[in-house]
Amino acid sequence: MTGAQTAGVPSREADSLAASAVKALQAEGRNQEARDRYAELVARHQRRAGRIAFHYMRDAAEADEAVQDAFVKAYSHLSTFREELPFEVWFTRILINGCLDRIKARTRRERWLVSMPESSPAQPDFAERMASGGPSPEAQLLARERRQQVAAALAKLPERQRSVFMLSHYEGCTSREVSALTGLNESTVRVHLFRAIRKLRTLLATDAEHQGLAGEKRRVNP
Amino acid sequence: MPNIRDLLERNAVSILSRLGANRHLDDDALLEIWAAATSTTDPHLTACAHCRARFASIDTWLDDLRTDARAEAEKATSPERLAAQQAQIFRRLEALERPARIITFPKFTRARGEQRRIVPRWVPTAAAAGLVIGLATGQLFNLTDMLNAPRPATNSGQLADNVPRPSGQAPSNPSVDEAIFYGDADLTARSAQFLSTLDELTPRARDDDRPR
Repeated sequence: MTGAQTAGVPSREADSLAASAVKALQAEGRNQEARDRYAELVARHQRRAGRIAFHYMRDAAEADEAVQDAFVKAYSHLSTFREELPFEVWFTRILINGCLDRIKARTRRERWLVSMPESSPAQPDFAERMASGGPSPEAQLLARERRQQVAAALAKLPERQRSVFMLSHYEGCTSREVSALTGLNESTVRVHLFRAIRKLRTLLATDAEHQGLAGEKRRVNP
Repeated sequence: MPNIRDLLERNAVSILSRLGANRHLDDDALLEIWAAATSTTDPHLTACAHCRARFASIDTWLDDLRTDARAEAEKATSPERLAAQQAQIFRRLEALERPARIITFPKFTRARGEQRRIVPRWVPTAAAAGLVIGLATGQLFNLTDMLNAPRPATNSGQLADNVPRPSGQAPSNPSVDEAIFYGDADLTARSAQFLSTLDELTPRARDDDRPR
């Protein structure tokens, strides 16, 4: 559950070594070798970075771009990286800041644009779903609705609460790791986590009540 | 060394303050325990089965949330997508190291820096020679005198001089325009005479007003 599982101490050491090596190669102007060495770091952190970006952006394409930007930015600013800080923490900070900037830009954009109805061309059709033996369409629909509700509730949380909740609960980081990533105290992290969950429960319960009332109305007036 | 009795009392007070009217932990207290990850050490939770069950339901709800969110995120980070992403990252890194290239405007076939106009040497020589020849020819034929020489009088000019001009208008240099304009003076005078005869014949309105 904890972030130590995803990034243990040995991998942390390997990260530091790789980052230092890339930095040295960059300084010597051996760019091809620096890129080859950097590929190790990318491969090690890419999946986790993709997940974090997706939790923030809620859109695969935008998450993809945010991850790319973060890796490129980290590579070009590697000279400012201090070895005493874990590479994972430094990189995740870059990624989260990038995601937050993108969310702000998107919010500004959406003020002026009318959103199109959601289309999902990547989803398999009914026959494919039946043939694959996956969950029934009804179960998929319910799961999607639930995800949308949770995402909408998460979007209503203040930025810090949302970050703390996603990092500690979704990514399984410890309070100390979240503290290092967000720059908050460990006790503040716990307070934010508690408040985030309390607010989420309230928001989701309200949604469920609204849905229940709507269902009652439909039954009364079919 | 802290007094054990004091510690126990303080602990009891904190637990009691978190208990609701029905002597069970409320939702906030349960969430607080979850957030602090102290469920195994909380004295009330270990003792009360009812609160433990409620805590377990909260824990399950949160686990479901995580499982769902992670499954969705994993779906968005498929191996193919990650491979494409990695390739794109390294393309961008390579592009960073390449020096910036100036792209020429499509109209020009060569870059602007390379474009140098080479003027052949005979062009200024030919221009200078042309100027000298022109001046010499001008001197030879005395072009200024030729331009200022009086022109021979034309027929229309003579005619224009014979035409009576309106009073107050001084005769000016005869020109073709004037000849055309004053050339019809005879016709104008004749038609004036004819019109005045016609005017005399025509009855007037004031003649009609007289009593008959």
